[in-house]
Amino acid sequence: MSEQLRPDQAPATSEDAAPRVGTIDSQPATTAPAQDVIVDEREGISFTTRSFGRQTWDRFRRHKVAMFAAALLILLAISFWVAPVLSPYGFRDIDVAAMRQGPSIAHPFGTDQIGRDLMVRTFHGGRFSLRIALVVALLTTLIGTIIGSIAGYFGGVVDTLLSQVINLFLIVPALVVLLVVGVRYGASPNGIAIILAFLLWPGIARVVRGLFLQYREQEFVLAAKAAGARAPRIIVRHILPNTFGPIIVNATLLIGTAIILESTLSFLGVGVTPPTPTLGNLVNEAKGAIDSRPSTILIPGGFVVLIALCVNFLGDGLRDALDPTTRKG
Amino acid sequence: MFAYVARRIMTTIPLLLVGTFIVYALTASVANPLAKLATCTTCDQAAFDRIIDLYNLDDPIPVRYGKWMLGAATGDMGQAPSQGNFDVFPLVMERMANTAQLAIPAFLIIAVLAIALGVFSAVNQYSKSDYFVTGFSFVGISMPTFFFALVLQVIFGVWWQDWFDAKPFYVSQMHMGSIVDIIRSHTLPILTLVLVITAAESRFERASMLEVINSDYIRTARAKGLPRWRVILKHGLRNAMIPLVTIWAIDFAALLGGSVVTETIFSWPGLGPLLLDGIFQGDLNLTMGIVMLIAMLVIFFNLIADLVYGMLDPRIRYE
Repeated sequence: MSEQLRPDQAPATSEDAAPRVGTIDSQPATTAPAQDVIVDEREGISFTTRSFGRQTWDRFRRHKVAMFAAALLILLAISFWVAPVLSPYGFRDIDVAAMRQGPSIAHPFGTDQIGRDLMVRTFHGGRFSLRIALVVALLTTLIGTIIGSIAGYFGGVVDTLLSQVINLFLIVPALVVLLVVGVRYGASPNGIAIILAFLLWPGIARVVRGLFLQYREQEFVLAAKAAGARAPRIIVRHILPNTFGPIIVNATLLIGTAIILESTLSFLGVGVTPPTPTLGNLVNEAKGAIDSRPSTILIPGGFVVLIALCVNFLGDGLRDALDPTTRKG
Repeated sequence: MFAYVARRIMTTIPLLLVGTFIVYALTASVANPLAKLATCTTCDQAAFDRIIDLYNLDDPIPVRYGKWMLGAATGDMGQAPSQGNFDVFPLVMERMANTAQLAIPAFLIIAVLAIALGVFSAVNQYSKSDYFVTGFSFVGISMPTFFFALVLQVIFGVWWQDWFDAKPFYVSQMHMGSIVDIIRSHTLPILTLVLVITAAESRFERASMLEVINSDYIRTARAKGLPRWRVILKHGLRNAMIPLVTIWAIDFAALLGGSVVTETIFSWPGLGPLLLDGIFQGDLNLTMGIVMLIAMLVIFFNLIADLVYGMLDPRIRYE
């Protein structure tokens, strides 16, 4: 299922669409900024050198939608962490004099059924949701990369085991495992993150495995072996750096997947235990008020969509920048 | 080919056993069927014994799993205490029929729409309409199912209630009286399923179609003077559909297995809410019955997908 959550192309603006295919790595020296030009006196030629990071940044910068998504995501993250500090209310503060209020100047998002300010709760919820999603992305990437690289490099038993586990995850509905485990262990934000990571790692392991299968047959690996390098060194120092691009792209997209799954779990009531707010919890708490104050559902839910959308566009831009070979068409 | 099918089924049986055992062990370690009796002051030892007997609670988990599995193999999945002690098997079948009323139309619409959007988008790559379709699928991919369902509920269950007869979290919204009743009760849940899944599938189809239309044999067909649409639909689509078939198998199995979120929000009496009930109430027999069904569906449709590959791509042989 992970492919479906991993869109591979984003809308690019029409003016940069045409040159993008051709200008993947090098640019003619004439258009390069002066400080990058190295002139070889003896040969009489000049060429530019740009570091890998610089090339990546240049490719990413052209992707305007991804740039915008990245900026918006940073803005959202900052506001999630800063806004609750500035607000006069705490996310647990109950004010029975101000229950079930609609949006007002004092409470821009309104208040819930026990008078808690929904704006503070929403930003706090965004903070928890985003934190969970980041932990999930990191953990999943770590587990997936370790297992995927071992399976891809050595093949054999580990590889067979990995493909059987992937088949197993296909047969057993993920949601069932999530729900069953969530009912028991889903109390803390970190607990939820671990459960989600445990469920999502096969996707990234498969990607890493595929890349390792491809690289282990190449000459530089043979050269490293001939020089006497042992397997751990070849895996970590020689092959792994080549796979960073796809790994970073997948890790980014995982943040979107995680935030959607976390909010779904919380909505079903097996996520982070209330009163800790997450975006999904807020929707779940507000669902009773759907016919009287729909905004209490639409605002936190809208934040989930906004974050997921930004992450997906960002991941797409990163794919173009870091991993130009997978770009199709 | 029969040998291939037989071998495939044989190799998935261990996987099925391991998978269902994991679910059984997890559920059994979480669920406590005696919990309800603990606060029951009028219950006597006989009530405890009945529950213990029903679930074989005095056996270790692997033994209990084995007993359940032997029963399931002969069509007896036990009773579901959370549903008034109904037999699990007929109950699950009845709910699956309700789920199928959403799953089958949704799947047909998704299949057609995903191909249409994907091909259209790929053929007009980087045009305005491509960006529009791409934008739509990004929104669809980023939209959690529960949120889209709730948005629909707000629009048609709160603001314009007359259109679809939808009421948020209302008891059973499935109506079967006339065509109008069916349209009014089925449209919104189907629409929810369609949006979320079509978004992902059309991205997939677009990528796969792009790969195909940039390949040599398509250029050759065009160079021979064949009309553009004929080349795309006849030569291109057939190959571009191969990767989609895998996704279809997974998605259709998932749809038939019940969509927990959509069915819950639209109060649909399908498998989804039943599964949720089973898990929340610690009803082992019920949970296992549904998990078993879902697993079989996944295995079955994956097998079908593998056979369809052979029809689409004659290079694939089943030896």
